[in-house]
Amino acid sequence: MARAGTITGPGGLRGGSAAAPGDLAPGDLAPGEDAEAALSDDALVALFANGDERAARRLTARLGPRTFSVALRVLGDRDEAEDVAQEAMMRLWRMAPDWQPGQARVSTWLYRVTLNLCIDRKRRSRRAGALRLDDVPDPPDPGRSAPERMQDGARADALQSALMSLPERQRQAVVLRHIEELSNPEIAGIMEISVEAVESLTARGRRALAAALAGRRDELGYSDG
Amino acid sequence: MAETDTEDAILAAHFAAARRMVGAMPAELEARILADAAQVQAGRTAPGPARSAGAGLMQQFLRVLGGWPAMGGLAAACAAGVWIGVAPPDFLPDPVGLMVQGDTDVNLLDSYALSSVLPEEG
Repeated sequence: MARAGTITGPGGLRGGSAAAPGDLAPGDLAPGEDAEAALSDDALVALFANGDERAARRLTARLGPRTFSVALRVLGDRDEAEDVAQEAMMRLWRMAPDWQPGQARVSTWLYRVTLNLCIDRKRRSRRAGALRLDDVPDPPDPGRSAPERMQDGARADALQSALMSLPERQRQAVVLRHIEELSNPEIAGIMEISVEAVESLTARGRRALAAALAGRRDELGYSDG
Repeated sequence: MAETDTEDAILAAHFAAARRMVGAMPAELEARILADAAQVQAGRTAPGPARSAGAGLMQQFLRVLGGWPAMGGLAAACAAGVWIGVAPPDFLPDPVGLMVQGDTDVNLLDSYALSSVLPEEG
């Protein structure tokens, strides 16, 4: 896998909507939130490169949570995940003028940078461990009752503990597949491996997770249903 | 088979819980990311640094002379000098004649004969 530090520019993996930096001007977001939301990541990156401040906000809202989520699940440490997410987004800002639309998806590139930054982090500090309950942000779904949120927290916490026991590549593949819900081809592009290798990693990861969580069914509320 | 289905269902519930728990990005992280973006954009649109440190010899020479206006005056003065040399006004001596003029002999003892001076001293 290419290390984040060695990625000199966006690499082409899959197609996307084409929008060269010179094609879009800051005023192109003027029609409002709807038009802004309809713009592709490529177009927003081009707008950002041309100095549009709102493009930065839209890209942050669109890509920031995913970046943070992946870093949090892979690293198991909130502070480190925040640092990685910030650094990954900083690389996005810096490479925006050089982005080649249509050669790669921005999200794919960003996931790859994030995972490589996570690997670098883990090599530097081996202190990552089980995710603590207070590491997890408040659930965004206010419709769930307090007991349900507590149960979610306990289950997510148990899952994170099990995830941290997996080998690095298995953990990455499982997080991308089952938490980020990406397709196997997309994960293959991010991890720069074959689709078959992704399937193998996720299958072994699932078996290991099931085994790790088997003894905690009652504790996690699975005994009655 | 039933056990596998149960395991799958339990794993699916865990993954769903994990997705619900990490749906929001911390506000302070969002602020940091946007601050970085603003900094990068400001760096791209800001005027470049003053070029004094990297100024070439020509720029330094111009600055010593007083800039382009002074350089224009100097060029005009040079052109006038050349023109005067080629076609001098009437009240000035011909520069070509000055250059090719031969030597003039001046005899300061023209009125004295050396033979008439020496006997007087002896």
